[in-house]
Amino acid sequence: MRRPLLLFLWLATDYLLFLGVYAFAYFQRVGWILSSDLPFRNFMTAVALSGVPWLAGLVITRTFSLTRRQRTPRNAAYIGCAAILGVALVTTVYFFLFQRVFSRELLLTAFVLSAFATWAWHMVFGLLMRMTLRSGLPSFPTLIVGVTRESRHLIDLLQKRQSVLKPVAILDASGIKEREIAGVPVKGKLDKLEEILREFRITHIIQCSDLEQSINLLSACRARGITYMLLPSVMGIVERDERVESLEGKAVTVVSPESGWWNWFFR
Amino acid sequence: MHAFILAGGFATRLWPLTEKRAKPLLPLAGKPIITHLIEKIPSGMPITVSTNAAFADGFKQWLDGLQRSGMELVVEGTSRDDHKLGALGSIAEWVRAESIDDDLLILTGDNYLGFSMETFLKAFSGNPLLAAHDVGDLERAKAFGVVIKGEGTRVTGFEEKPKSPSSTLVSTGCVIIPKSALPVLMEFAKVKPDNLGGIFEEFLHRNMTVDCFIFSEPWMDIGSFGSYLHAHRELIGEQALVDPDATIKETTVRGSVTVGRNCMIERSELTDCMIFDNVTIRDCTLRDCVIDDGCILQGIDLRKQMLRTGTKLIVDG
Repeated sequence: MRRPLLLFLWLATDYLLFLGVYAFAYFQRVGWILSSDLPFRNFMTAVALSGVPWLAGLVITRTFSLTRRQRTPRNAAYIGCAAILGVALVTTVYFFLFQRVFSRELLLTAFVLSAFATWAWHMVFGLLMRMTLRSGLPSFPTLIVGVTRESRHLIDLLQKRQSVLKPVAILDASGIKEREIAGVPVKGKLDKLEEILREFRITHIIQCSDLEQSINLLSACRARGITYMLLPSVMGIVERDERVESLEGKAVTVVSPESGWWNWFFR
Repeated sequence: MHAFILAGGFATRLWPLTEKRAKPLLPLAGKPIITHLIEKIPSGMPITVSTNAAFADGFKQWLDGLQRSGMELVVEGTSRDDHKLGALGSIAEWVRAESIDDDLLILTGDNYLGFSMETFLKAFSGNPLLAAHDVGDLERAKAFGVVIKGEGTRVTGFEEKPKSPSSTLVSTGCVIIPKSALPVLMEFAKVKPDNLGGIFEEFLHRNMTVDCFIFSEPWMDIGSFGSYLHAHRELIGEQALVDPDATIKETTVRGSVTVGRNCMIERSELTDCMIFDNVTIRDCTLRDCVIDDGCILQGIDLRKQMLRTGTKLIVDG
């Protein structure tokens, strides 16, 4: 229940932040008075109505997704796009309601403030969420399958960054001598899968090797409602630009040859 | 003589087929691997099957379905691979607990033996006896206990999984330990409980006479997916064994194929496959696959896959 509650709190605080930032921008540009040319009440009505589709914009760009790292430039770009959407929405809604347009400087200030304030708040909230979801019984106990260089690095990363996916157990198809890796216990071979899924109430499996067992791991995940993840290196993909795209409506994993950044638009 | 079948392994290399059943209970040519062994043992001989707690229920069910008297199941307390007694340890434990004072025919439950057991038993002259097979390849011999033969049937040396084998003759998990040698076994089991082959090194070390029975009939040690499929191909040959309760329509079958009870297979191609019970396959091409109970496959092609019980792979369009 922690995650839905936190998500609701996050959406609510984001909405309040949106209102607050626009109110601050209003007073910043208009002055600390209530203008009759641009009535505060009318302005905030437009902002309040625009806040919901702005939140929807953030949701669509998966800004609130469980595994999203808030501090990344890509996430900042998504929040920036949502801020542009917010400004456009406020302007349009205000025009539709009151048949008037208003200060470009106000819009610019609101855009900059909403983009930066949202990003900052998301970083803070993201951190709080990680700490909350990992404390006590973890909300998302994760099973790592396969001990490889990549999986060791991944476990290390998940632990260091306090990821919401907390590794609680490791299985390896061929068995290894180590008892634990970065504090996570190695519980044996794949014959322990069902036992571990039950014992730890696993919510996520990350497959890091043994590609031949993908179908069986997926089968176990489907049967128990567990989310399955696969490290691209299991399939020999190490380029770090792999992505799932659509080919005539069919999903395909794409790894493109190295080329200049401008080619990104034409891939 | 008393037969003792070792069936206490966890068979992790055959996961997921061994997720809910022991390796000796895996079907091979229409019946469990261990049933092939049981059928070779003379009917009057008592048989004890040793397994672990995790697979005990499966063996109880299997025993209930067997038309044979004098069968007994011994269950080790462990349900974990790393808590096993070991092959020799479980024999010693049983000998001690049951105060066994008899010659022992010891068999590993995951082996298929092509030779006549009666001939093997006749070769027993009161010395420890092991059944040996020439694998014809030094590289292959590295994975087994290698037997060095002297004159006649005498064994002059035994090397357990050597890095440089001296011979291509290997021990096959079918041995007779005379009751006179049981004290040595009990003593050795305390030191190396998981080393069944090592007991022959110990016998030789103590200047005891060890005999070997060399056979050329098929022998299959089923330890991995590859060896399981190989054993299946060897036993079935180029034919399909289809259970009378299974339905196959508009399907091409090539190589060695077995289809279990209540299966429904339509518009598919099967090559060298084992399909267990209650499986539904439509519009699929499967090659070198073992499909466990209750799987549903539709519109998918698979090669060299073992699918766990209840896997659903349904591709639309």
